[in-house]
Amino acid sequence: MGEKTPFDEMYNPDGSVREPYRALSEWLAEQPDKALALMQTDAEAIFRRLGITFAVYGSDEGTEKVIPFDVIPRIIAANEWRRLSKGIEQRVKALNAFLYDIYHRQEILKAGRVPEKLILNNEAFCPQMMGLEPAKGVYAHIIGVDIVRVGPDEFYVLEDNLRTPSGVSYMLEDREAMMLLAPDLFHRSKVAPVETYPENLRRTLESVAPDSVRGTPNIAVLTPGIYNSAYFEHSFLADQMGAQLCEGPDLFVDGGKVYMRTTTGPEQVDVIYRRIDDDYLDPLTFRPDSMLGVPGLFDAYRAGNVTLVNAPGTGIADDKAVYTYVPDIIEFYLGEKALLQNVPTYNCTDDDQRAWVLENIHDLVVKEVHGSGGYGMMVGPTATKAMHAEFRKKIEARPDNYIVQPTLNLSTCPTHISGDVAPRHVDLRPYVLVGDEVRITPGGLTRVALKKGSLVVNSSQGGGTKDTWVLED
Amino acid sequence: MLGRTAANLFWLSRYVERAENMARLLEVGYRMSLTSRREGGASEHLVSMMQAAEVDEGFDAKHDVADVDTVAHYMMFDPDNPNSVYSCLMAARTNARSVRTAITTDMWESMNGAWLEFSQIKPRDVRGAKLLGLLQWVKQRSHEFRGALLGTILRDDGFSFLQTGNFVERADNTARILDMKYYVLLPRATQVGGDLDIQQWTLILRAASAHRAYRHVYHDRYKAHNIADFLILRPEMPRSLVYCANFVQQNLDSLAKLYGRKEKCQEAADSLLALVEGASMEAIFTDGLHEFLNEFIARNNRVTDALSESYNFY
Amino acid sequence: MRIEIDHSLTCSLPPGTAQLVMHLLLTPGSGPTQSVDSWSVEVAGIGNAGRFRDGFGNAAHLVNQSRPEGDLAIGVRGVVTTQDTNGVLGKPAGEPVAALYRRVTPLTKAPVTLYGKYRTTKESRLDVLHGLMARVGETLGLPAEPAPEAQMQATGEQVQSQKAEAAPELPPAADFVHLYIGAARALDIPARFVCGYLAPDDEIEGGLHAWAEAYDDGLGWIGFDPRYQLCPTERYVRLAVGLDAESALPLRTVPVGEVTQKARVTAA
Repeated sequence: MGEKTPFDEMYNPDGSVREPYRALSEWLAEQPDKALALMQTDAEAIFRRLGITFAVYGSDEGTEKVIPFDVIPRIIAANEWRRLSKGIEQRVKALNAFLYDIYHRQEILKAGRVPEKLILNNEAFCPQMMGLEPAKGVYAHIIGVDIVRVGPDEFYVLEDNLRTPSGVSYMLEDREAMMLLAPDLFHRSKVAPVETYPENLRRTLESVAPDSVRGTPNIAVLTPGIYNSAYFEHSFLADQMGAQLCEGPDLFVDGGKVYMRTTTGPEQVDVIYRRIDDDYLDPLTFRPDSMLGVPGLFDAYRAGNVTLVNAPGTGIADDKAVYTYVPDIIEFYLGEKALLQNVPTYNCTDDDQRAWVLENIHDLVVKEVHGSGGYGMMVGPTATKAMHAEFRKKIEARPDNYIVQPTLNLSTCPTHISGDVAPRHVDLRPYVLVGDEVRITPGGLTRVALKKGSLVVNSSQGGGTKDTWVLED
Repeated sequence: MLGRTAANLFWLSRYVERAENMARLLEVGYRMSLTSRREGGASEHLVSMMQAAEVDEGFDAKHDVADVDTVAHYMMFDPDNPNSVYSCLMAARTNARSVRTAITTDMWESMNGAWLEFSQIKPRDVRGAKLLGLLQWVKQRSHEFRGALLGTILRDDGFSFLQTGNFVERADNTARILDMKYYVLLPRATQVGGDLDIQQWTLILRAASAHRAYRHVYHDRYKAHNIADFLILRPEMPRSLVYCANFVQQNLDSLAKLYGRKEKCQEAADSLLALVEGASMEAIFTDGLHEFLNEFIARNNRVTDALSESYNFY
Repeated sequence: MRIEIDHSLTCSLPPGTAQLVMHLLLTPGSGPTQSVDSWSVEVAGIGNAGRFRDGFGNAAHLVNQSRPEGDLAIGVRGVVTTQDTNGVLGKPAGEPVAALYRRVTPLTKAPVTLYGKYRTTKESRLDVLHGLMARVGETLGLPAEPAPEAQMQATGEQVQSQKAEAAPELPPAADFVHLYIGAARALDIPARFVCGYLAPDDEIEGGLHAWAEAYDDGLGWIGFDPRYQLCPTERYVRLAVGLDAESALPLRTVPVGEVTQKARVTAA
């Protein structure tokens, strides 16, 4: 699979330019020497000055990096986007229906469509959520769906992120930077806006406030604090939608309700967009050693006095082992075929499949079931023989802990690489909001693997981002 | 506004002001050490400056010799010194980062830019003339931040907390400098100071950026009485105790108006102002300058404590 | 049987505790085996507590105190009338699906030697459940005469029973229950932890107690007390259920303190 030339989003195999990229291609041709390099430098300065940085895990405290931003936008045609967004909407509706079901009557387990043990004995399943009625029946309000493209009409969902997906601030700031850097390019294209995201986020959050709330709900963004790698995003989103940015100690429960400590006394909070993981949310219910959370928060949520966004326990729906069942989940709840395909996934607990996987590991991608961010992952074609051997052993020891997929030949986009333009592999994370309605921001975050030939786009592993344009008809 | 946000704003401003004051003190110490002709004189000036900055004990614990290099490093770059410019800028930026949503982009960019530039500097590259340049830079960045603050932020409760922090810190700084050198300001038989006195007086005035302004106000040679008067009671001197106390009182007053209620901190600010407003140098000298300054510092600290209590800092 | 309960709990708090938050599972519900005639929970802050059903269907309270003075003290009193149903609870409404209680938790793991022989058995589920109860008794020890006091201590980690001084060394009731539940779940039988009160008789001292309930598709939930090797009688009052002792703890607090409790249970 690795031998084949990847699908290039800008050029047809005969060298002609694909239609969505026509304006960009002309614009690129007009740019004088070094123009891109200059833009790149400007972009870096803009991001650093605005403090759009992320902390790299494991590195010294205080080392903050700017995620590399590529000045050449990635472009998606209107009809391509229509297809994608329909598929995404279908997927998030089904996943929310699935969450409602497994935290209530568990019909899908009774019907045997998803193995009961996979859910009930999963660490991501949250028994404390049983029987809870979330506002509007929504569990996952803010979702990032990772999508890759391998051909003109071939899109695959790589994974769903239903816990606390990050990166949306980069989508917004990339657009902001692009408009500053290349206003003339915008004049030539009809690009769908992404700036509506904060307002839509606010609407979504307001729409899921507890029924008892009269008037405008009081919204807070709950962050683990300034040392969290995504702190910039937390403050950015709070700022953009006019919500209070809180840390655990800023909130407390009293009489079953949640309040923030303000200069003029306690103020009740109705909706909490929390960016703290389930385990750390409330030491009274979850990890007792958590210093980040709010004691009693979960009970106040159960008492119906506050809405948590996303709900605890949504991780069960984006578990890598559950992922393989998403097409069944869609059929079960919506009675429709999945519009977006899953990446074919091999089940290592099956003897025949495992044998095949172990033999062909050099061609495959191995992912730890609970891993994320590119950690605990092996890309066969680029890994060493020693790593192949190591992962063979790991799979044999714990076949249920890994999922294995073919190495997808991700599409490439033109990317600025030290003065030149060269194709690099990309993926796409559109952001979806689910409240009184489903709102999908056109485009999303394009991540690009800046190393030649690399298929790993994670920012922690040398990936960058691009502004993503969805063209309007 | 969250109580924590108010606290962050207050301390953000205090730390920016403190960084500036530390740079100013180091500049004075450095200049004086250059002009000293006596054996060991340079070291004495530096030590005396560190006493005024209240960092001498920490310094002694780490260093045997007080020379320009060790002192400059300790005052500028040492993370072990909680009042080094490094520590102040880092604390200021950490506070700013915690309240990103409560300050303007211009303020953040100024603060973040200052920190990023400062953290790139290699201490060993900052010697001799370069030191003065860097000290000037610290002051300029502080001015820039204040400019961004005054030019862009809404005049709401956040503004009051920022401004209060700024002037509580400044009052504290001026009072401490005076207290450390109060003995050279005491009235004595002869009004004419010796060389040593003049040097000490210069230190005090320069540390408050007041050596030129002094001439404008007094049209006179340096006199202990005038210097004390200038830094304590002159309402037009922006670093004097009375100016700072007035400023703090007014800011907290507007906060009380905004919130529709007086709290303990307004009482504390009233009491701070009452100490200096309408006082005369004669009376202060009669009751004891040292005692007066200590009382001022105590009442100023009480403002911070009362503020934390009144507005739920934590 | 009319049973009176007087249950007191204290929790030592770290000095200088500014905010105390607690989660109480101290309110029994009425059902096929019992009806609650009167019940009161007395603790500072209960007046404006958050009241709700937890994930297991228990009536829960979220109570908070600002700057609590001294140790936390809770007084629980009430009268419950019970019926003997041979341990059968049935299928009460308002509970989560029984399958939930197949989830294995760190506290509910049983060795295969305990349940292995039932994996391929032709016995009925009811017989298997009785057989398991006997196996757990053989493994951990059968009740001796006189039975030890079943006074439990919630340490925040798990419920432990304190043995009466002269009694033979038997593990706490919760250990029996965890082993029983673990074995049942390993056989794909839903089983849950029950925390409740036991009225004394000539042989059993009574007090706070723990037992298990397992699910039979026909009969519904059936109680099993592996500690005393019997199915709950009219002397048993159900207080709270959960996956294990931890999720059915009568009292959880932040900050965590040491809990001591005593229940005086009197059969009228």
